[in-house]
Amino acid sequence: MKRTILGATALLLAVTGATAQEVTVGRFFGDCEDAGTDTKASVGEACIIQSIINAADAELDGVTVETLPTDWGNYYDQIKAAYAGGTPPDVHVMHRHRVPEFAGIGALADLTDDLENAGIDPADWEASALEAVSYNGRIVGVPMDFHANLWHVNMDLMEAAGLVENGAPVLPSSPEELLEHAQAVKDATGQDYLAADFAQFPLGVRMVLALIWQQGSNVFDGDTATIDTPEARNAIAAVTQLFDAGLANPQLNYADSQQAFLNGEAAILVNGTWVVDFYASEAANPETGLSTYHAADFPTLFAEGATWADSHMWAIPSPLKANDPETYAAALQVLAFINDHNIDWARTGHMAVRTSVLESDAYAALPHRDEYAGTAEIARDTPPSERYGAIQDVLNRELQAIWLTGKSVDGALSDAELDVQDLLDR
Amino acid sequence: MNRHYYRLILGLSIPAFLWLVPTLWMVSLSFQPNDVLARTTSTTALGLIPIPFTWENYADLFQFGQVPVWFLNSLIVSVGMTLAVLAVSTTAGYALARLEFPFKEPLVVLCLMGLMVPEQAVFIPLYTMFADWNWHNSHHALILPRVAVPIGVFLMMQFFKAIPRDIEEAARIDGVGWLQIFWHVMLPLARPAMMTLAILTFLYAWNDYLWPLVSAQQREFFTITLGLASIQSNFAQAEGLGRVMASGVIASLPVVVLFLIFQRYVVRAMTAGGTKG
Amino acid sequence: MPRHPGQRFALSQRQAAVVLLLPFLAVYGLFLVYPFFKGVWISLHDWNLMEVAFNPDAKAYVGLENYERVMWGRNIVWGALASPVLQIIGLIGVCLSLFLHRTGRAGRTTALTMGIAAVLLFVLPGFHPGEEGRWFDRRFWPTVGNTILFVGLAVPGVTVTALLLAAALNGETRAKATLRTLFFLSQVLSVTVVTLIWQIMFSPRQGLIANLTELFGGTPITWLTAEGFAMAAIVIATIWWSLGIAMILFLAGLQDISKDLYEAAALDNATGTQAFWHITLPNLKRTITVVVVLQIILHFQVFGQSHLMTNGGPNDSTQVLVRYIYQTAFRDSDLGRASAMAVFLFVIMGSFSILQFVLGREKDQ
Repeated sequence: MKRTILGATALLLAVTGATAQEVTVGRFFGDCEDAGTDTKASVGEACIIQSIINAADAELDGVTVETLPTDWGNYYDQIKAAYAGGTPPDVHVMHRHRVPEFAGIGALADLTDDLENAGIDPADWEASALEAVSYNGRIVGVPMDFHANLWHVNMDLMEAAGLVENGAPVLPSSPEELLEHAQAVKDATGQDYLAADFAQFPLGVRMVLALIWQQGSNVFDGDTATIDTPEARNAIAAVTQLFDAGLANPQLNYADSQQAFLNGEAAILVNGTWVVDFYASEAANPETGLSTYHAADFPTLFAEGATWADSHMWAIPSPLKANDPETYAAALQVLAFINDHNIDWARTGHMAVRTSVLESDAYAALPHRDEYAGTAEIARDTPPSERYGAIQDVLNRELQAIWLTGKSVDGALSDAELDVQDLLDR
Repeated sequence: MNRHYYRLILGLSIPAFLWLVPTLWMVSLSFQPNDVLARTTSTTALGLIPIPFTWENYADLFQFGQVPVWFLNSLIVSVGMTLAVLAVSTTAGYALARLEFPFKEPLVVLCLMGLMVPEQAVFIPLYTMFADWNWHNSHHALILPRVAVPIGVFLMMQFFKAIPRDIEEAARIDGVGWLQIFWHVMLPLARPAMMTLAILTFLYAWNDYLWPLVSAQQREFFTITLGLASIQSNFAQAEGLGRVMASGVIASLPVVVLFLIFQRYVVRAMTAGGTKG
Repeated sequence: MPRHPGQRFALSQRQAAVVLLLPFLAVYGLFLVYPFFKGVWISLHDWNLMEVAFNPDAKAYVGLENYERVMWGRNIVWGALASPVLQIIGLIGVCLSLFLHRTGRAGRTTALTMGIAAVLLFVLPGFHPGEEGRWFDRRFWPTVGNTILFVGLAVPGVTVTALLLAAALNGETRAKATLRTLFFLSQVLSVTVVTLIWQIMFSPRQGLIANLTELFGGTPITWLTAEGFAMAAIVIATIWWSLGIAMILFLAGLQDISKDLYEAAALDNATGTQAFWHITLPNLKRTITVVVVLQIILHFQVFGQSHLMTNGGPNDSTQVLVRYIYQTAFRDSDLGRASAMAVFLFVIMGSFSILQFVLGREKDQ
């Protein structure tokens, strides 16, 4: 009934010449022009999110949605510049780790009391998802996923090295075993054991962080940097031993490492959940060097399980709520639409945030999903900080210095600790 | 002598060809299918010859995506900036070169001092000012900062100084006003210098990167130069190498054509602008 | 005598000057002079980009603290031999400029400029953190160092290549004109096209250079992620890009050298290389100086190559000053510190502009 009334109103508005409420959407994930409106058919992050947005544009009455995609590298620089310039998009995607930075100065609209009316039920969100979008007890965003680091496995190479049991890859349980497995793959196939982006984006950092957490340590605690620790040394040594033995190449960037994996030149690629569907479709393509693909939980090399994880979420700028209630209402409708399509977004490989979706059969039936079911349990991240981006940059720089330029581990860790401490003190 | 000459030309043709290779390669890649490029970029003659050949990248470019919008923005900004620079530079340049008025010398010095201030030293305060005025994401925000750079005034001032006085004096004796002299006598004479300045400004506007990066956050106000930067960082996943290269070719076409037609002026503009970049 | 229609409202010379100057002065004052001083003012504040946007009072006057946090450190001491190589070169430079001036081989301005540069080279690298001391911003001076290294590689690279090409291509034949056009062509491309081309040229998997290396059985170099190669890669791209202006300026300079000189030299059997050394080079001294100073100013502003090709990496080895300013302002939201760095950049570039102006004056005399 409500829909009919809304539809009638929209029709009336259309007849009287009033235009639909336009909502601008800011996002990363890349471009996809011919995404269409079929949220079940699109492949890859860019096209899946764009098909959801296109569907919202087509199906929501009285709301038109315009997408403003931005490239990855400059996204946060540009969104901040847009906020400061008074022209932020009406709805934009962001990571959980940025919440303190944006919400801390009141940039994000408090959605707590408006979700219910918009048709979003926060009670359906996993507890950790609710926590991810909360700041000082208020809800400042709508969560869309959990994403985490996985080990993407080329089963043919593993099989050749005798590292497959019962159809699942045998992954190492200690740094020593990691080296043994890597050597076994090299001996059996001549290929590298492991590839990852150790040279560009902070994917190597996320791997080292996981290994630090696995030893019960962290890189900072409250206001104190704790990087120059034995745990960090162990974590770095576990990775660096592969480079020293020539079993992995630290000089590949994101695109190159992915290409190496797809060409069958590396048995393992350490990368996020966001590429599971892409690799699955590439494995089906006979022209690539990857034919049997498996997605595995990040293995536990030390005491406890841990892998880097984060969340994508959608937020609305606070000035919109304060100054433009109509667009704000329309923006909430868009958020509700995205929330309703949580299962479609999960097709990327990301983990859903809604309990009802997580428990659904459709979710369980997604390809490779059961292979990394344990990841939700071990998902971790550094403590919240307004300086998250800058801290990641410090770690990325210093780890790259070790791997790419031969800086000593002692020098890099003490420099990183001083720099991070500086950032925490600001 | 003659043999020596041909040997020199031949000897220089090889480096000249090598110099051209990167550009040729971009053009060649833009005519190859994306799925082929994803596997290898050296299908025929190291990829320098576009076989297999396709128009698809260019067709896609105009069908989808924002390259046409960016191209139009670049055109608006470049033409707008060129006209604005010409307007303020010719007027001010003439006044400083030929008219007598109090405080002229200090004013000339003040303008010259502006030449010392690089774009990078003012882009942050400009950003905050434009933010306060809600000016970002507009064409005028991309145009105005460069209009304030006194290089054009300086060039026009030098030019007007070199014009013989008697042309002007003849008109004065006829009782023609200063503004009429400027408009009817001096401006027509200044055409070559204006051409030089116009090309210098157009090239700068078309190719500027830092200020558009800061001022235009919305894609619909990107210039082609900025848009190209935004798609090259994730070519591997999203667009396909061929398409990105086609965008690069489209972005370069106007300046290359402009250069080939007005080569003489471009060279003069570079030499004149060379006194200050 | 026909009365000019405008004469009835004819303006006095003064009024005409005001009318003609007003548009430019308005734009100049508003978008250059005022922002310049506002930049200095921002540099004296603790100014967070986002916080100030949401609350204009969220900035605090901190005096020179931003400059201190960027350029200074705890327990910084000066030693005459802290970085011996640079400082000894500086000392030698001081002696050399004195010597050249005394013997009359260098003019006053040249000697003075050289002397100042040498003194700075002796004094500045001498500062270093003492025991238990450290720079407040560990990245700033290395970033300045990288920028200087980039300038130090790109400027000679461009100048020498351009000079040789100009000498070879000076002349009125059609073939030479065509070759000049080819070498000049890349100059008109935008920095984003240049980085697009070279990023993929250098790619270890898709790059033309890698394809060529593999053809001859070599292992491709990961240019953009290997320390040592990354800086070389952006310098190569820069030389390819910006050779044109320098070449044109040299060609203009060559036009001014009298043909008689070469003919006289030819009588002494000095042609080709010899003529280049003994006639071309000495007569181009001024042009070379102008080109070098111009290139220094130009390349000190390098941003796009580093931002787009290497992201400043690996390990900050291609991080340059303008990129650091951009990041400090728009990634770290710290406009105060970024503005302090921008003022530093202005001081350096301003000194070179003055130098260029002085050299230009010398030429006129």
